[in-house]
Amino acid sequence: MKYHLILSALTVGGLASLAGPAIAQEPFKIGISAGLTGYAATVDRAWRDGVELAAATINAKGGIKGRKVQIIVEDNRSEPQEAVTVYRKMLSSDGVGMFISGCVSAGNFAAAPILVRAEVPMVLCSILPQQPAQVKWAYTTLPPAGFEVETRLAYLKDKTQVRKIGVLHDPTPYANLQKTVAEKEAAKYGIEIVGIEQYKQDDADLSVQISKMNSAGAGAILKIGLGGTTLTAAKNIKQLGLNMLLLTSLEDLAVFRPVAEVLGDKFFFVASPSQVRDALPAGPLATEIDRFLAPWREKYGDRDPNWASRGWDGLMLTAAAIEKGGSFEGPKVRDAIEGLSGYQGTTGVYDFSPEVHQGLTINPFVLGTIVDGKVKVVQ
Amino acid sequence: MANPEPILKATGLSARYGHVEALKSVDMHVEEAELVAVLGPNGAGKSTLLRAIMGLVETGGTVHFRGKALPRHDTVAVASQGIILVPEGRGIFGPMSVAENLQLGAYRLQGGKGEYERRQARVFELFPRLKERLSQVAGSMSGGEQQMLAIGRALMADPKILLLDEPSLGLAPRVMTEILEKLRVLNEQGLPIVLVEQKAPLALKLARRAYLLSLGRIVAAIDPREVQSHDELARYYFA
Amino acid sequence: MTSLLATTLPSRFRWTDTLAWLPWIISAGIVGYAFLSGGYVVTLVVFALIYAVFVIGLNIFMGFTNQVSFGQNAFAAISGYTSAVLTTAYEWTTLPAIAVGVALAVLCAFLIGYPTLRLKGHYLAMGTLAIGLITYEISVEWSSVTQGYMGISGIPPLGIGAYEVTSDRGQLALLVVIVLILTFMSARIRTSRLGRAFFAVAGSEDAARALGVDVARYKLASFILSAACAALAGSLFVHVVGFVSPEVFGLHMVILSFTMLYVGGIGTVAGPLLGALIVSLLPDTFRAFKDYQDLAYGAVLILLLIYAPRGLAALFDRYVPAKKVGGAP
Ligand SMILES: Nc1ncnc2c1ncn2[C@@H]1O[C@H](COP(=O)(O)OP(=O)(O)OP(=O)(O)O)[C@@H](O)[C@H]1O
Ligand SMILES: [Mg+2]
Repeated sequence: MKYHLILSALTVGGLASLAGPAIAQEPFKIGISAGLTGYAATVDRAWRDGVELAAATINAKGGIKGRKVQIIVEDNRSEPQEAVTVYRKMLSSDGVGMFISGCVSAGNFAAAPILVRAEVPMVLCSILPQQPAQVKWAYTTLPPAGFEVETRLAYLKDKTQVRKIGVLHDPTPYANLQKTVAEKEAAKYGIEIVGIEQYKQDDADLSVQISKMNSAGAGAILKIGLGGTTLTAAKNIKQLGLNMLLLTSLEDLAVFRPVAEVLGDKFFFVASPSQVRDALPAGPLATEIDRFLAPWREKYGDRDPNWASRGWDGLMLTAAAIEKGGSFEGPKVRDAIEGLSGYQGTTGVYDFSPEVHQGLTINPFVLGTIVDGKVKVVQ
Repeated sequence: MANPEPILKATGLSARYGHVEALKSVDMHVEEAELVAVLGPNGAGKSTLLRAIMGLVETGGTVHFRGKALPRHDTVAVASQGIILVPEGRGIFGPMSVAENLQLGAYRLQGGKGEYERRQARVFELFPRLKERLSQVAGSMSGGEQQMLAIGRALMADPKILLLDEPSLGLAPRVMTEILEKLRVLNEQGLPIVLVEQKAPLALKLARRAYLLSLGRIVAAIDPREVQSHDELARYYFA
Repeated sequence: MTSLLATTLPSRFRWTDTLAWLPWIISAGIVGYAFLSGGYVVTLVVFALIYAVFVIGLNIFMGFTNQVSFGQNAFAAISGYTSAVLTTAYEWTTLPAIAVGVALAVLCAFLIGYPTLRLKGHYLAMGTLAIGLITYEISVEWSSVTQGYMGISGIPPLGIGAYEVTSDRGQLALLVVIVLILTFMSARIRTSRLGRAFFAVAGSEDAARALGVDVARYKLASFILSAACAALAGSLFVHVVGFVSPEVFGLHMVILSFTMLYVGGIGTVAGPLLGALIVSLLPDTFRAFKDYQDLAYGAVLILLLIYAPRGLAALFDRYVPAKKVGGAP
């Protein structure tokens, strides 16, 4: 025990003597807990690449308030337990002062109490934690669940005769949230939900669910959830010879091309602005997207920019908040993000406030379709 | 042959493994203090007969022990009555010490430290080597020692009748003779024994009576005194 | 009693007897290092100790009794979720919540074990795998209670009454005590009448039966002990992390615990703790390898499998016949 005391005295002393002159040159360390392997890999790798691209851009301009940014990435394997470990690692071993973490919500939730204790804020790709004390330290770039649903409902109401629909979703929290919104909002658009069916991400056949909704009179399916099941649903609709529209949620454009080959003009998808840059009018949104897309395309070609652009936003809005708040201290950064409003990101305008930690409050989404291999905006 | 009450008596005993009927309506008995050999070629059903008595296989027919019917499919109850099997391949518990194997032999013994010591003393008297090896891992002993342990462990259960399934299996002739000699001693002390053996000449030296099993049936009851040569035995086998 | 004397007081001194302490010394070294250095190594070791609780149980069923269960995570989930729900939705204190959680898991183990333990070999393994998967599905689907993938957060930390253990080192110390108690119990079981019965069942069910050992009963007892440990680990996890979601008790828990059991040494007393610590820390020592981390980790596991096929602790265990003993006349 005595030995231990001496040891820690030595360490503390050593650190204190280093702290004074070193702090100006020390880069500001930002941690990413990402599911680089496991179910979240596709999304979180893109998210990470977006954050790193933003860091490179910031550093090329001299950093934040003259201080360089250093990104530290740890793989949480899409598991909550691993997430707790890597958050702790980045906090205690790397001295991370801010997190811009990926989409493994369970991992971010599990680590939230630690961040509260450490007074380090995080900007997330995933939904926010549930506890008010934890939400205080967490922000997200994720659009509210309703937006993706509303975009699709609006299209059906304005441009089609379809008034009865089915909802097909997986059991993830974000999909569940969207489903709940759909149930609540449909009536406002004069649309009736005649069937709600769940599937699992690894289901190889959805024809049972689809037939059920079809026989209930659904003319369109709102599919909520990521991955190969979208193609499965499309194939099933075709095999069953049904005359139904398929409207899926936001996803990598690469996933959609084969789906469009199956369903043609009966297939629609929610798209974020960066995915349909060329169809956008000039303006602040387009300018910000270009600022991101130029280095992105240079480095990654035509890889889908959706998740990466939100990672970019995560770091860029943090940088803006730090510039504005004037401090790198956790509590100050937290307060500064809370005061950030009207911030133009690549996905839309972020308006944070003490009550709103989910900054995108205006629906940025469009509805897209693929005609002759070309992405077209329909709404 | 006129003893009134056999200690163990199987009547119409049959056994099956799924669809395979391995034992077909066997009648056999063992009298007090008798050593009975069960002979027969590979796959004749010798092991199955012992397993059927223990209730380790699905059986038909009855087995009476000291005049009372034994429960079927309840090996623990059969063992509790003092019918103890030394299984084919010895069935010793390799990762455990010799001492622990012996303790497992006396598994049904409740309390009674004195009784435990008494039984153990009897085992050590018969197999002094086990005493030297008490803390050795059973699996690391030689084949002969393991067979001694298997028999010693059975004796720890204080058997009223001992069923032995090919104790000579895989042993050098000298060791084999030593073990069979111990069985003779035990039998002379009054312990009834059923000895399953493929090596008929060895078994016939000890046995008072023998059954010859073939294809799941008893094909002959043999009086060892009448079998004097190999030829004669061969006649039984191929009859 | 005889065996206890025989095993702890060998008649001849062998250098392997001092080696027998090595797994303990290594384990103590790792835990001690974590305690002194603090930081996230504490987190790693805390998780390792929680897993050690789980693996100690698994070892009783798989190591001592030689049965296979791929579904012990079910009991961790049952108890973990019970703890979580009782302390959040019903505002119970931690200790009674854990007690009820473990009791519920044990009850389930009894109800599941009673019929399934009559199954043999791979049927039992398949049955237990199904139990683990079903429990996972329930934790996802029964969202009114479990919150589905959203998980339950705000679970209070371990503690007795008003005294809560929130510091890292406090949690570490508490878990060390729990693991020591369970390890001691498992050592006692191993040399007890109960343990001998487990080992007899492991050796040969027929031979055990023929000696009067009630095989079905002891399999069930072993299963229940094992489930109780798994359940305790599940509850400890949710209170330490403060959060639970279905992934926590998913299939990866099964894979991880099996790795720990085999690396540490199946059937040994020190194995579960050693295996849990090493398997938890090993990937981290390769963190600098980045993308090759898994490769390095896998390579080390394969080497271990080749050079210590019965696990690390078995290298020093008295039950493993050393060559020189086997060669004795
Ligand atoms: N578990 C089992 N399942 C199916 N058939 C079995 C089983 N055990 C034995 N048999 C069959 O039952 C018959 C009798 O077998 P048993 O083991 O009793 O013969 P044995 O006389 O002891 O032979 P050995 O001298 O080779 O030990 C054989 O045909 C064998 O193939
Ligand atoms: Mg046989």
